[in-house]
Amino acid sequence: MSVLEARHIRKSFVGVRALSDANFTLNGGEICGLVGANGSGKTTFARIVSGLLVPDSGELALHGKPVNLRSHLDAEASRMAMVHQNLSLVPEMTIWENVVLGREGTGALRFLDNRGAMAIAEKAMAAIKVSLPVTERVKNISPDEKQLVEIAKALAKDPHILILDEPTASLDFNQVEALFEAVRALKARGVAIVFISHRLWEVAKICDRLVAFRNGETVGELDFSVQPREEKLIVPLITGQEAKARVRKPHDEREREIIALAGKSPALEMQDVSLPGGRLSNVSFSLRKGEVLGLGGLQGQGQEEILMILAGFLRGYSGTVRRNGSPVPLRNTRQGIRNGIALIPGDRQKEGLFPDHSVLANLLYPKLSMHRGAFFLPMVRNRALAASAIEQVSLLPPDPRLIVAQLSGGNQQKVVVGKWLSLDPEVLLLNDPTKGVDVGTRENIYAIISALTARGTSVLLYASDTEELVNNCDRVLIVFEGRIVKEISGGEISEEKIVVSSLNVEHTS
Amino acid sequence: MRASRIRSIVQDSSFPSFLMLVLLIIVNAILQPGFFSYQVFRINFMTFTPLILVSLAQATVILVGAVDLSLGAGISLVTVVMASLMGATTASIVLISVLGVGVAILLSLFNGFFVATIGPPPLIMTFATSTIWFGIALLIMPTPGGHIPESYYGLYGKSIGGFLPVPVVVLLLALLLCLLLGRLRAFRHLYAVGGHERAARASGIRVVRTKIFAYLVSGIFVAMAALCVVGNTGTGDARSGQGFTLNSVAAAIIGGIAFSGGKGNYLGAAIGGIILGLLINIIYFAQITSFYQEFMKGAIIIVALLFGAVPRLRREISKR
Repeated sequence: MSVLEARHIRKSFVGVRALSDANFTLNGGEICGLVGANGSGKTTFARIVSGLLVPDSGELALHGKPVNLRSHLDAEASRMAMVHQNLSLVPEMTIWENVVLGREGTGALRFLDNRGAMAIAEKAMAAIKVSLPVTERVKNISPDEKQLVEIAKALAKDPHILILDEPTASLDFNQVEALFEAVRALKARGVAIVFISHRLWEVAKICDRLVAFRNGETVGELDFSVQPREEKLIVPLITGQEAKARVRKPHDEREREIIALAGKSPALEMQDVSLPGGRLSNVSFSLRKGEVLGLGGLQGQGQEEILMILAGFLRGYSGTVRRNGSPVPLRNTRQGIRNGIALIPGDRQKEGLFPDHSVLANLLYPKLSMHRGAFFLPMVRNRALAASAIEQVSLLPPDPRLIVAQLSGGNQQKVVVGKWLSLDPEVLLLNDPTKGVDVGTRENIYAIISALTARGTSVLLYASDTEELVNNCDRVLIVFEGRIVKEISGGEISEEKIVVSSLNVEHTS
Repeated sequence: MRASRIRSIVQDSSFPSFLMLVLLIIVNAILQPGFFSYQVFRINFMTFTPLILVSLAQATVILVGAVDLSLGAGISLVTVVMASLMGATTASIVLISVLGVGVAILLSLFNGFFVATIGPPPLIMTFATSTIWFGIALLIMPTPGGHIPESYYGLYGKSIGGFLPVPVVVLLLALLLCLLLGRLRAFRHLYAVGGHERAARASGIRVVRTKIFAYLVSGIFVAMAALCVVGNTGTGDARSGQGFTLNSVAAAIIGGIAFSGGKGNYLGAAIGGIILGLLINIIYFAQITSFYQEFMKGAIIIVALLFGAVPRLRREISKR
């Protein structure tokens, strides 16, 4: 029997149609995937179903009964919980306060029942096997831990229907496994689950069925009880085109290219770099011209710290960083940029964009910050630069006057990449650049990167998605507790090998 | 366990202001003769109490992510309303005091309603209402005056049982209110809305209602402050509340309340209020000429703010 049925849901935001004809059925005790490109309306749909948005038209039925989900509280009454992609946690509050936020229990005299709330939080955290002190403030925990708290918050509602909107975007494979286990346990208890993700292998692995959206419409369904669990069946549903596996250049050919580009010294070298508190210890590696070097391993082992040091964000490191053989100081971000190092951040909302400014302005800020010379800015030349950046990243629509906040997530990510192209960086640092980005845009970003490397740009890539490392890197360094524990190169790079080395078990056993 | 207890006290947002407070008490004790005597204690709290109360009022709205620049003008308006209507009978005193409380709460709710529903920036909204309140107060009473019976303002200088000054009793009532608030769901939601409004909304919190609630609570503290100001001055004056507005903002921030909202507590705000009171005392008793008074006050406030910023800066540097 269907626990949730949505028919012909339509929703527009000032002039933009987010959903034109969304149809969705969820059966009791199943895990149903919801896939689609950025801007296909998945999140809007999830927000409508969970009562945060009111649809323009359409029908919704819960447990066979038509409902009018006018507000979130109505949705709560029907025991529906949503794990938000943009987290719904208050940083200054503790974990337990967040877990019960908005639904605090009260005791005598309507006073807050804090002891009860802590017990609820502890139970919910235990259900997904997370051991964090519930009295810790959310601002002090890492992004992946926040994601887990967010999930615990949804579980604490003891939901009948659980909507997970990209719950794995900031989790590493270990944490994903733990989450999957919890999700399967919920399913066994009869909870119906909607699973939204861009990582198709996850969808193929955990879902019983999946529904695909394209441009605000339901375009197809796959039932894994009759169809094989293969990603290549999902891709055409999302893009509307047959899956074309990107041909990765053979490793020996790449190696020849890199050797042909090589100068006297490596483009970038780190030698015995350490950070206080053991966050990094004696990290040494070199990055050759035109090479794509991956940083792998579990989440938060020091990969981001390496990128932050190179971008000039982290002072107080010891050791040497060399560019083309000569040591460079990296005390602030300007020095990083001046030395030809550009960081493409993972959290585009927070570090990569000025959402209320135009595409043009966003593309030009790095250039302007380095502007020297005449008092007036050469705007004609700058506009041309922006236009060429727009072309290189194939922004859609290619209009520099658009406000970035109005672009879809994938296009926003293109702007984040494009803004550095005008500076022509020699070393590109990528911090999980395709987090929450759909397959089409992801391919686009990697196409840009491979075009850049062919011209001699070196790339240091940190990705939480192992598949991305395999598909793009010439070498992969595995980071564990602030140290580089393994280097995998060329044809040896495989998902299995990366996962096994990340756990660093060889050393201990 | 003990070490973690100490750590949590040191890391509390109000801790730096507490250090500042201790320092100022020492300086004040040196400068003001008989600082620890009962009489001086009583007289000091006659001026400290309204300052502390407005700091609590301001802290409440700052915690929800707003601000109230009309709070001083609101106090002025309440004093002139009370001074122009109050008679000598006990019934009149009680009735008009209740009216004063009602006016203060109503003014605050007016701000809260607009800020929460229509959503103008609280800074501009309350600046606008502050000039309106001031205008009305001037209309009612162009020059200071009116009639406050001796039995009202005399009471403010009295002590209960000979050892508990009335202003301190008022503070104890405020303390009780703070403790009560801390156990209410709506008050928790106030922190959530101030800390991250979108997250609060996504958690099903009624944001509009929570903001209005913050202004309501703020209005209660303003009302208490206004009653004290009337008791302290014994007149109605359209300018009597002027200094409170920005002093209350400074006190809240010195006390560790984040101007962006969602962080800090009443203890800090109260300490901030006392710090400002002590400052005014110190400057007076150090016999600094009036030109340097304002200068010194500003300089000391900046020092107090630096005190509060040190632990945060240290954390940020270690993080970077």
